[in-house]
Order: sequence, then structure tokens, then C-alpha cells
Amino acid sequence: MIAAELAKQWRRPRTLGTLGALAGFSFALTIALALSGADQLQRVGDIPLLIVPERAGSSIPVIALASTMKFFLPLAVAIFAGESIAGDAAVGSLRYALARPLSRSRYLLAKLLVALLLSLVAVLLVPLAGLAAGTLAFGSHPLSAIDGSASTALHSAILTFSATDTIARMGVGTAYVAAGMLSIFSFAFLLSTLTAYPFAAVAGGVGLTLVSRVLNSDYLPGVAVLNKWMPNNDVDLWEHFFQRPAQTGGMAHFLLLQLIYAGVCLGAAWWWFARRDILV
Amino acid sequence: MAAEPPILIEGLSKRLGRGVLAIDDLSLTVEPGQIVGLAGPNGAGKSVTMKVLLGLVRPSSGRVEIFGEPVRPGASSLARVGALVDGPGFVPHLSGLANLRLAARMPGAALGEQDIERAIAIAGLGSAIERAYRTYSHGMRYRLGLAQALLGEPDLLLLDEPTTGLDPAHIAEIRQVIRLVAERGATVLLSSHQLAEIEHVCTHAAVMREGRLIAWGALAELRGEHDSLEAAYLALVGAGERIAQTPGGAVSATETSATTEHADQSTAVEAGADRDAAA
Repeated sequence: MIAAELAKQWRRPRTLGTLGALAGFSFALTIALALSGADQLQRVGDIPLLIVPERAGSSIPVIALASTMKFFLPLAVAIFAGESIAGDAAVGSLRYALARPLSRSRYLLAKLLVALLLSLVAVLLVPLAGLAAGTLAFGSHPLSAIDGSASTALHSAILTFSATDTIARMGVGTAYVAAGMLSIFSFAFLLSTLTAYPFAAVAGGVGLTLVSRVLNSDYLPGVAVLNKWMPNNDVDLWEHFFQRPAQTGGMAHFLLLQLIYAGVCLGAAWWWFARRDILV
Repeated sequence: MAAEPPILIEGLSKRLGRGVLAIDDLSLTVEPGQIVGLAGPNGAGKSVTMKVLLGLVRPSSGRVEIFGEPVRPGASSLARVGALVDGPGFVPHLSGLANLRLAARMPGAALGEQDIERAIAIAGLGSAIERAYRTYSHGMRYRLGLAQALLGEPDLLLLDEPTTGLDPAHIAEIRQVIRLVAERGATVLLSSHQLAEIEHVCTHAAVMREGRLIAWGALAELRGEHDSLEAAYLALVGAGERIAQTPGGAVSATETSATTEHADQSTAVEAGADRDAAA
């Protein structure tokens, strides 16, 4: 069932298009930087880190992941999760799949695992494509970054990471971002069990991302009380891995929040899907 | 020991959202080898009944069994059922062949290359079987849907309006396929708005109206003194208000005939026969 589902989803034009766009983004970013500003300091994230891309190809995955984690990656994840069941309902294949001796829980689990796998591929693809494009364009050299939070007008806190160290920190950072997509994924997956319109489920996932971005105390101090419950706001904390020593404050809370969103949304999805009438 | 009936429905009711009673105390037993036509106006409950039989819709009350096993989502007896309900449903970007292979790999199917070859022959799509499903015409989609329903030679075939929008040649082909299926001993439940369709291929018919079974029996019995099944059907459905007021929803042959001024024909329609038998 999982193999059949994976074969089906993998060949879906939307899957290939989404993954292609994410990989293409890293290459496009590299080309844009090479053409215009690879020799200049680039500000990355809220810390901020200041990086000169031309001096290390491994800077591209850092910039690429930081650029996609707040919208493009949630969009991709919402597509994979939101389309999973609603997509089948929309084309009518859901009723034929469930008219077999196949428990709904097993069907749901297969859908969940395949959508999770594709979402994980989407997240991994951005830094991997960035690393490939950056290495091709700028070579493999140690990454030098200026820690904006520790720098003053008189003193720049310059940090240097070897290529191996950069890749290791990026690996942990990518895992953190992947885990940070769990809330958006779970919400879109829940919507996918509720509707026969995949666009609605995808839009719901994207909508949650936007709500999370809007209700952000960085922009609206009055909503600070909500900030720590928003599913996407602290997805950028991985950038603190590129400080010395690496900072991990707030990460445990964010990861726990992802688990809570996942538990509630996936639990509700399972409860509803096991009981719902399949009328379309 | 007698074989379990392919379909056993007793006192089935289904209330959908907003309190709509889609099926109201339906009882029906279909015996092996019968080709049963399910007729009735739009909203009579035919499609919902099919979906209950497939475990897609949960009954609000009543007993539903397929080959002696209570129907529930994922019931093992569903492996013996093929269906074309609410039109075909395939993955648009895959070819017809890839879709059939996908169906053959579904749990409970465990079908081989020979089964797929047989289904391809039934679909009769020629080289188009290799094309993406989204490029198919309406008729091609229905033929592929029928081929999928017949994958693995099911013992029970549920067909909901299988000839909708098809041209006469395709309709004749599908009728022929249904006859062949029945000849090998399978049972067929076929819903259709076209009574001529039911008359052409079915051995029995059930008429539903507003979720209730209002007539059931062999075609000859249902036709009775009428020229055609259509005339008998219109007499039944035209009896609207009186049917609704009949206790238990069953229509007696006398009442039905009286509405069409044939009161002397008292055995033409065996309305609610199975419900009575079950009771």
C-alpha cells in the first residue's frame, strides 16, 4: 500500500513541480548572488549573521534554508499534506480505495507516511541543492560569518566554521526546520480528511502559516502572549547554531509545540476519518 | 448448506447531514446469480444504498451483510465485490494501464498479470490504455471504470448508472459484459434511471422512492399487466401520496393497480416482498 501510494504521488506533476521549484530556488539564488552580490556581506536571519557567499559555497544552504522556511517550505508541506486525501476524494479514487478490504486506519497511515516522506524530501532538498550549487559556484571553503548579536561598532565577532562543521550544523538545523513543519503539515492533513477540495486543505495550511507570521510579537508587540503558541514563529532559531557557543534557547518549547499540534491534528484526523461517510 | 446471499439488507436506515433520511427501513435479499435492477427517481437512495454495501457509508440502523459477513469499512468480504459507483475515479496523471495496475495491487486484490490483461480486454481501449487517464473521453473513462470493477472476476458487481452519457454502441457492450458476468454465476446489482436498461439485462428489479423500497420482484411479476417495466414503474411512482401513506411503506399490488385502473390484476407487483419474508 505504501509503495503503491509512493509510486502514485511521486509521479504526480504537482509533486515534481513543487520539488523542482524548491531545488530550482537554491540554484536561482546562487546565480542571482553570483551575478550581483556574492562578494558583499549578506544579512541572514534575525541574529543577524553576516556572510560573504563568494568566500564559501557552504553559505548558500544557510541562506537558502533561511529564505524558504517561513513561506515556501510551509507551502510545499501544505501541498503534500493537503492533497493527500482530499486529492483522492476530488478525483473519485478515494471511494474505490476504501471499498476494498482495507481498514481506514491503514489507508490513513499509508497516506500520512508518504506525505511525511515527501515533505521531508522537500525540506532536505533546499540545503542539499544549495550546497551543490554553492560548491559549484564558489568552491568548498571554511565559512566565515559575523555574529551581529555579538558585534559592536568597534569589534566584529567573526566566526569561522570549517566546511565539515558547517555541514554538520546545517544538518542539525535542517532537522530542526523539518520538525518545525510538523504543525503546518498536521493541520493541512486534518483538513484533507475533512474536505474533497484539495485546494482548501492546502490553503488552510498556508493560512495557518500566515496567521502565525501575522501574530508575531516581532511585528505586533501586543500579541506577545500568543507568540509562543504560534506554530511557525520560532522556526528560525536554528540560525543560532551558527553562533559560538551554539544557542538552543526556545528550541525545546518550539519542538514540544510541534508535537502538540501534531498530536491534536493527527488524532482528530484519525478520529474523523475512521467514522466519516464517504459520499464523494 | 445454502450459500449465503450476496446481499442481505434488513431494516436499513441512513440519516445524512441535516436530518435527511436517505434510506428508510430498507429490506432486500439478493440471491446468487440474480441481476437486480435498482430503479427510482433522483434522491430515492439508490447510490447511498450502494455505498452502504461497500462500507463507505455507515448505516444509522439495520443489518447489512455481503456473503454473510456484516459490512463495515475494510470488511474482508469486500474482496469479492467489484464496483462502479458515482462514476469512475482514477488518478488523472497515470495511464489507464497504470491505474489498473494500482487497483490490482490494492490490499485484498492480490491480482496477477492475467487479471490485468483480462481487464484491459474488457476496457477495449487499444493503445489508449497507455495514455494518461486525464486525456480520456467520458466513454473511455466509464469503460476503464467497468474494467476496474471486473478486476479479479468479483462474485458481486455493484454498478451505479454504468451507462450514463454513453453512446448506444458502448451501452450495448456494457450490457453484454453484464450478461457474461452473470453467466459465470456472479450477482449484479445495477442502478439505473433507464428502465429499458433494466428490462434488457436484469432478472429482477427493486424500485425505491424517498429511501423506501416500494416494489421488488422478478421482472415479469413487476411488469404484470403493463406493456413494459416503464409503465409499471410510472404506475408505482405515480402513486406518490398513497404510497407514502401506506403503513410500513409497502405498496400492495391492488393499490398500485387501482391507481392505473387495473384493480383486477392483483399479483403484478410484490412490493416489500422481502421485508415481509424477513419479518
